[in-house]
Amino acid sequence: MKILYAEDERQLSVAVTEILKMEGFEVTSVYDGAQALNAVRNDYFDAVVLDIMMPVMDGIEVLQKMREEGNYTSVLMLTAKATVNDRITGLSSGADDYLSKPFAMKELVARLNSMIRRNTGYRHSIIKAANIELDTNSCELKSDKGSLRLNNTEAELLAFFIKNPDAFHTASEINIQVWRGKESPEKAQLYAFYLKNKLRQIHSDLNIIIEQDAYALKEETI
Amino acid sequence: MNEKDLKFYGIYAKRLTEIEQILFTEIRSMLDSVSTDPETALAEHLKTRIKDSDSLREKLRRFDLPETAQAGLNHLSDIVGARIITHFVGDIYTVLDMIEKSDKWQLVVTKDYIASPKPNGYRSLHTLLRMPFGCGGISTIDVEIQLRTIAQDCWASLEHQLKYKKTIHNTNLIVSELKRCADEMASTDLSMQTIRDLIRNT
Repeated sequence: MKILYAEDERQLSVAVTEILKMEGFEVTSVYDGAQALNAVRNDYFDAVVLDIMMPVMDGIEVLQKMREEGNYTSVLMLTAKATVNDRITGLSSGADDYLSKPFAMKELVARLNSMIRRNTGYRHSIIKAANIELDTNSCELKSDKGSLRLNNTEAELLAFFIKNPDAFHTASEINIQVWRGKESPEKAQLYAFYLKNKLRQIHSDLNIIIEQDAYALKEETI
Repeated sequence: MNEKDLKFYGIYAKRLTEIEQILFTEIRSMLDSVSTDPETALAEHLKTRIKDSDSLREKLRRFDLPETAQAGLNHLSDIVGARIITHFVGDIYTVLDMIEKSDKWQLVVTKDYIASPKPNGYRSLHTLLRMPFGCGGISTIDVEIQLRTIAQDCWASLEHQLKYKKTIHNTNLIVSELKRCADEMASTDLSMQTIRDLIRNT
């Protein structure tokens, strides 16, 4: 796991870098905001630790620039003053977590691990049920007998069904729970039909069952 | 041509059938000159047709023209038409190139709805050709050739059904879903084209 650590207090930086390396992280240490921005522009990191108070460019500015440029790497802010305002500014500028100085080394390691776990969990999420599996990243739907590629909207609906097995939902409930009301009940109905046909195509043991205008993912009993 | 169309087209009926025949024979021989093996053939399908009198009358009415064969021949360009269905997008342009080189007709205009799809997602290449007619005082006839891939053809026939179905539930949803399908198919068409080029060049 690659970490970028931006901290202007040299002694602290050396100590923290050492400990992170012992914990198995690959650490790049920089000492001001400009160096930090330069590093994230030129290299990939699994997570970034930014001190707020830094010379040349402060941590908030680095974070804002990163987000503006479309870099969504997880960022943990280190706040020295530990004021509520500092934390709020950090989080609302796009930070994923913060830690107040002085902090316990063990807590930094735990928070970094948690942030990275959340990310990778999201990036490579494969959901399995019965004889099918859905890669929510590539939208590939597979069974032991076939595979095909769904579109994003279909994958979201199927993921919802897999997480709520056997439960019947109406089209408008689906629209609200899966798409936060942004689509329509008609679309929910059509997409349930799409999934029904596509699941059958790959000989899924689970299929969309329709009862009184409600839909569920269930084992098909013949 | 059936009884009804024969009666409608009258003195032009025989010549129209000949034009259709020339069109078919010429395109068929172009396609066959490249390959007659179904696996590598340029076209999966070639079809020519003469517009049936009912739809011609309907179109003339829409254009506020007299409902006669003569008005149709003078003002419309799709009384005789051909459709060529290919496996791959690239084959469309290979066929177009051959059509442009033929001395059986003159090119009038080509509309490339593959390069510039219609807003609803329609993709096809239309080319208009002018052929000598010389019958009943009409010297030339314009014929339309439509070229598209199997995927584009499948899409167009579904879209056609939507157009002629007056009352349909959730029209907006269906229209936007059809558009999405058109774009996905266009993307797959190009992936297949790319893979074929890779296979051929290695």
